[in-house]
Amino acid sequence: MSEERVPCVEGLFSEEGGAKLHGAKCTSCGTPYFPKPTACHNPDCEESNIEDIDFGGNGVLWSYSVADFPPPPPHIFDKPFAPYAMGVVDMECGLRLIGQMVDKPEDVKVGAKVELVIEPLYHEDDKTFTSWKFKQL
Amino acid sequence: MQEVVVLGVGMHRFGKTGDDIVGTKSVKALCHEAVVGALKDAGVAWKQIEAVAAASSRFSGGKGWGLNGNDVVEDLGSTGIPVYNMSAGCAAGGNAFNVGYSMVAGGVYDMMLVVGGEVMPKGMIQTSGVEEATDPEFLRQRCIGMPGPSFWSTLARRRMFEYGTTEEQFSQVAVKARKCSVHNPNARFQKEITVEDVMASPYVSNPLRLFQICPVSNGAAAAIICSAEKAKQFTSKPVTVATSTVATMTFDDALPRALADPIPSTPSLHTEAQNAVKTAFEKSGIGPQDVSFTELQDNTCYYELAFPEEWGLCEAGQSESLLLAGETAPTGRMPINPSGGFVSFGEATTAMGVFQIAELTWQLRGQAGGRQVPDAKVGLAQTLGLGGNATAAILKR
Repeated sequence: MSEERVPCVEGLFSEEGGAKLHGAKCTSCGTPYFPKPTACHNPDCEESNIEDIDFGGNGVLWSYSVADFPPPPPHIFDKPFAPYAMGVVDMECGLRLIGQMVDKPEDVKVGAKVELVIEPLYHEDDKTFTSWKFKQL
Repeated sequence: MQEVVVLGVGMHRFGKTGDDIVGTKSVKALCHEAVVGALKDAGVAWKQIEAVAAASSRFSGGKGWGLNGNDVVEDLGSTGIPVYNMSAGCAAGGNAFNVGYSMVAGGVYDMMLVVGGEVMPKGMIQTSGVEEATDPEFLRQRCIGMPGPSFWSTLARRRMFEYGTTEEQFSQVAVKARKCSVHNPNARFQKEITVEDVMASPYVSNPLRLFQICPVSNGAAAAIICSAEKAKQFTSKPVTVATSTVATMTFDDALPRALADPIPSTPSLHTEAQNAVKTAFEKSGIGPQDVSFTELQDNTCYYELAFPEEWGLCEAGQSESLLLAGETAPTGRMPINPSGGFVSFGEATTAMGVFQIAELTWQLRGQAGGRQVPDAKVGLAQTLGLGGNATAAILKR
């Protein structure tokens, strides 16, 4: 019996047909957003035109940090706590995006090429809760 | 515009709940000592204060609504004066100073109290506490799990990548800071440490270690400011406020603050701080080359290396060599945080902007003892707060 996989927050991302973040883009100035904003934040944009768009694909690791201690709630994690890396990635889609790294902290390298994936974050009530993460290529 | 001066400053030594310094003192009690000290330093009676600009705390006092200035007025005696409670995260103290400065400069009042005090909860500062999918802080914690210091360690790691900064060099900043703190009776930590001590402290968020990150502290600071004209009644040598500025971040900022931002067109980090400091230089006509010393917000040692470069105090990538040559020490060419900084004090969040004004004042009067910057003429102060808030102030003698 396979465990049910559930997004840790509904409506932000999906994994059917490949990892996708549900974001938006201003069609006037081309600025990408995740999550979807109520209006375009670019002060030089003439007219806010926000349209839904899905983001996925690859990027380059701008920098990363390591959680050597468990973060405060509302973070939920499987016990015992295992340190993990968090990447900041310049995605080909134009977003500088934050996410956990699948790779072990000691293997992570600034400048590495990574891909967006949906992976387990924690387990609760016989369910696997997922989030978006980065995996070094 | 009237010229504005700092007439008096006061501080309660910083400490940690339960220790011998602050014990179980309330934020009201900490502020009381700072305000009474500032009044005495200025030679001013409480009833001569015409208005109060206070930093609003999210954590302590203020009747749970950030009404910290009202607490102070009740405590010192309710004279019916106007109170302005300012909220700007860790920049609140700097914000309160700016409101006080602007009011006096604009001639609304002649004599004001600026105050900030804090009793901090234990451990890492918690996020918003809101469990809603529309709250960006909630999403960062639920979907990723980012302890506060990871924000700083991401930047530190990037600096290591760009400039080859080493963990030992971050440690050297802490060693320099604690060397200053030995001479500061208000610092929480007043003992020297070695690079080995810092490198032996555990990672809080790799690559940053415990001694390279400021802890939370309890403490308070106060300043009495007035018009230059009014100051003549009290002193012949006041410290002049050359300018005070407040700024927020700009759209092209390159810091990863939320879940995702558009990749910026420029590499500008901390645009709010850059905006505040550069505006301060423009407004005062004082340039980076005129600054005798700087008190900047070193939540982590990383900032002592990054900020001077971002504001043009030195060239990009030059901070490490200046540090190692001793140029950022009080006796160097570019003294940074002669007070010992946040790394020696810990952060009593909303007090920090006023804490900096007190240190600038002591330095410019030549009262800083063993941490004195020789012949200090111009001091620069800067804060940075959640939400893209920043402040700067330039004081001169």
